Amino acid sequence: MVSYLIFLLVVGGIYALLAQSLCLAWGVTGLVNLGLAGFFAIGAYASATLTKWGGVPVPLGLVAALVAGAVAGFVVCVSTLRLRDDYLAIVTLGFAEAVRVIASNEIWLTGGTDGISGIPAGMPRDWGQRFHIISLVIVTILLGLVWLALRRLVASPWGRALRAVREDQIVAAVAGKRVTRLKAEAFAIACAIAALAGALYGHYTSYIAPEIFQPLITIYVFLAVTAGGNGRPTGAAIGAYILIAFLEATRFAAEIVPGVSAVQAAALREASVGIALILLLRFRQRGLFPELNQKAPA
Amino acid sequence: MIEALLQALINGVIAGTILAVPALGFTAIFAVLNYPNFAIGALATVGAYAGWVGNTVFGLPMLGALPLAFGVAGLAGLAVQSLAVKPLEASGALMMAIASLAAGLVLENILRFGFGNDLRGFELPLLRDWRIGEFRIGPQQLENFGLALACMALLWAFLRFSRTGRAMRAVADNRDLALLRGVDPVRVALVTVIVGAGLAGMGGMLVGLDTSVDPLTGTRLVLSIFAAAVLGGLGSIPGAVAGAIAIGMAEELSVIVFNPAYRLVVGFVVILIVLTLRPAGLFGTRAS
Amino acid sequence: MTIMTRRTALIASASLLAMPSLARAQGAPIHLGTLTPLTGAGGPYGPVMANCVKSVITEVNGVGGVLGRQVQLTSEDDQTNPEAGLRAARKLIDIDRVAAIMGTWASSVTTAVAPLCWENKTFLTTVSGADSITALPHNGWLIRTQPNTTLQGRKFGEYAVELGGKKMFFMAPQTPFTQSQLANMKPPIEAAGGSIELLIYDAAKPSLRTEVDQAMRARPDIIILGGYTPDTTVLLRDIFRAGYRGKLLAYAYSVNQQMIGSLPHDVTEGIYTLAPSPAQGSGGFDRVKRIVGNDNPDPYTCQIYDQVNLVLMAMAVGNDATGQGIHDNIRRVSQGGGDKVDNVMDGLRAIAAGKKVDYDGASGPCDFTDAGDITDCKFRYDQVRGGQQTLIRIA
Repeated sequence: MVSYLIFLLVVGGIYALLAQSLCLAWGVTGLVNLGLAGFFAIGAYASATLTKWGGVPVPLGLVAALVAGAVAGFVVCVSTLRLRDDYLAIVTLGFAEAVRVIASNEIWLTGGTDGISGIPAGMPRDWGQRFHIISLVIVTILLGLVWLALRRLVASPWGRALRAVREDQIVAAVAGKRVTRLKAEAFAIACAIAALAGALYGHYTSYIAPEIFQPLITIYVFLAVTAGGNGRPTGAAIGAYILIAFLEATRFAAEIVPGVSAVQAAALREASVGIALILLLRFRQRGLFPELNQKAPA
Repeated sequence: MIEALLQALINGVIAGTILAVPALGFTAIFAVLNYPNFAIGALATVGAYAGWVGNTVFGLPMLGALPLAFGVAGLAGLAVQSLAVKPLEASGALMMAIASLAAGLVLENILRFGFGNDLRGFELPLLRDWRIGEFRIGPQQLENFGLALACMALLWAFLRFSRTGRAMRAVADNRDLALLRGVDPVRVALVTVIVGAGLAGMGGMLVGLDTSVDPLTGTRLVLSIFAAAVLGGLGSIPGAVAGAIAIGMAEELSVIVFNPAYRLVVGFVVILIVLTLRPAGLFGTRAS
Repeated sequence: MTIMTRRTALIASASLLAMPSLARAQGAPIHLGTLTPLTGAGGPYGPVMANCVKSVITEVNGVGGVLGRQVQLTSEDDQTNPEAGLRAARKLIDIDRVAAIMGTWASSVTTAVAPLCWENKTFLTTVSGADSITALPHNGWLIRTQPNTTLQGRKFGEYAVELGGKKMFFMAPQTPFTQSQLANMKPPIEAAGGSIELLIYDAAKPSLRTEVDQAMRARPDIIILGGYTPDTTVLLRDIFRAGYRGKLLAYAYSVNQQMIGSLPHDVTEGIYTLAPSPAQGSGGFDRVKRIVGNDNPDPYTCQIYDQVNLVLMAMAVGNDATGQGIHDNIRRVSQGGGDKVDNVMDGLRAIAAGKKVDYDGASGPCDFTDAGDITDCKFRYDQVRGGQQTLIRIA
């Protein structure tokens, strides 16, 4: 039971990092990233290949993941930033699929559909419970750092400019904000955070494969961020833990629903994710932790 | 080699014409309701199942099953619109898009709940292709091609000659102006959703005729549909057709000149290039 | 320092929670889990597998269970996704406290959950085919009933030669065994003076006409199909339309009864299929037929049937219903001679009578190497005739 909870807290922390990413891109800046799973994958592969085959220490792998995520994010968003925001949504959706196809087929680089197993964690895995507790501490600390940094960024003049862009690009541009540049910066940073989450996932579980990075993960994170409140890092992080609790709770709920087959139970579980997202968007769009009215600059 | 390329082009035109049907649905909804409907893949699957039930349970021929696919998918689209998307109109296109994505997931799993994951095949004789010189072409492909063309012709006639169709075009061209002229926006939105989702459903059935039907039938098409619509110019009806045929050809050519496993990447690269060089697409007018 | 104290506290509470499991030695139910894909790409296969296990366990519970204890089954969905699979496996291990997880299907899911199983002394039985799986450092904590790709590839190659092929064309999506399958088909084909080409296609594509054109241009005698059911369905239609008259060779799990039922007979007529198999006349296969109500149960269902039978008998023979018990005793019931049994009911009776049993199941003799691979297995060679898989031979 305890190891199950620790495991869920680690996974929850990784999802919370993804939620921080989406909070910055979507909640604060208004850029919808439907390719979150793709950036998650980029980070996972960057760090896993370098540490496993390149002999690079794990912390450097994490840095490499951040860089790879930022570069990928910039490349993906740069062609669409001047367009309506829904174009970015379509491009990112395609990006995630493209990453999965490339990861499956470029065997020399990614190990192909076999994936990469035995990814080093930077500490011995046979420590048992200790391994998981230390992992939990590391993931939680990193999440805390990202959360703190994001809170400060959001409160800074840069963050206010991003919100101005989100509310009305034209007004923001007239007010002298460099809209495209601001959007590119925010999106690249957000993608770097998602990539960091991917790297941590790989090091913690020791295994990554293209099949992990499916679009469903992106929907999960949207659910998390919507539940918590998309404009605030705190809300997004808590939303991620709620998400994991929800996903696991549906597992137990499915066991007690009478008269349905295993497939039907599985279908109900997946449908409940979609229904929860629809209901939240409709009735509690600002989440549990709504964005506060902005304080005057200090 | 030349024959191979030409044959691939023929295959691409046929595949693209079928792809054009759901792409039209997607782009029509975008044009009138102003958001990308990410439930389009699931709606195509709904149509495929509806057609399959009509064909195998009620013994309908293809021409009878196709309207059923249109109707059931249209109703499902209406449900998605009124239950999930419409309440978010005030929150903007992105919220509506996300709600539609969630609704698609729900639809897919309703189908899974009812039908399971088993593959379903239409009761349809399968014919060998005709050979014309070096080339081959399938009677069934030709029939599907014809059905796809008929769908498009009907849509064109509807948009051109019916009152509602003209109102839809007016709203798509200039929403405010159309409202000033007394177009009923609620009615137009309603009809557009039914037609758009219905087209997706027919597209799903046409694909299902050729392959098989399972809860992921439509989802597999989604990226190609988006690529087609973006290439043609989001919101442009003729653009969706041209875009779909171009994507169909590009996907088939990639088998020969590139690597068949990279089909999805082809769609993505096309989207990126188009948006970088000509964001309005082949036929579009509005992008920013 | 605070971390240390919290950790000690956590460990203390963990051992408290573990107490009941020691106390329930008598009477308390035995827990087993299945982890099969119920959604996602493996969706066509997993549900039947889970049902098959359920019905075996129901039968065993009907006669009083194992070691006087009822067996409780929890079926989880791995969503054909290693991340979801890992969470599900965690739950099976830590909450349901299952002694064994059975039926992981995708190689990626198996690779993801295997470390968790061996770290937590939970036995893992899988149907995944990638060679890399039994090469994991699992110390005997996993077995697989699917022949590895080295063996399957060689059999495919040999059979293609036997069918009189010179030019073979292998069409497959990118899977963890595509490359190794090809590498292992090559030697027997090349030794017979033949050749083989590979085309990797996109399994999500709704039409594979151009891919088939590419294959036809090579003028192959035999096309070998390496995909799963949904994409192979698309491929077969297009191969038929293209007017191909040569031979077709496929895995029995992709050209299964479900697919044959969904395609016109003309399209599937004459396809040769291969599947791991028990010796002719083995009762296991007939039992699976009855359970799933289908004359040609697919190989994965046969395999998971064998897995649950072996796991239950291993518990009985070792008088130990834990993962460790299965780990230590499974080879005592799977191999080494003794009374041949093909189902757990007979097996339990024989074990209770103090006899040594040697299980031969629905998918094969189920004898395992130390690495967890099956040592040898016969293959079933079928041909589709008039919409039915018709047995040619078992060898």
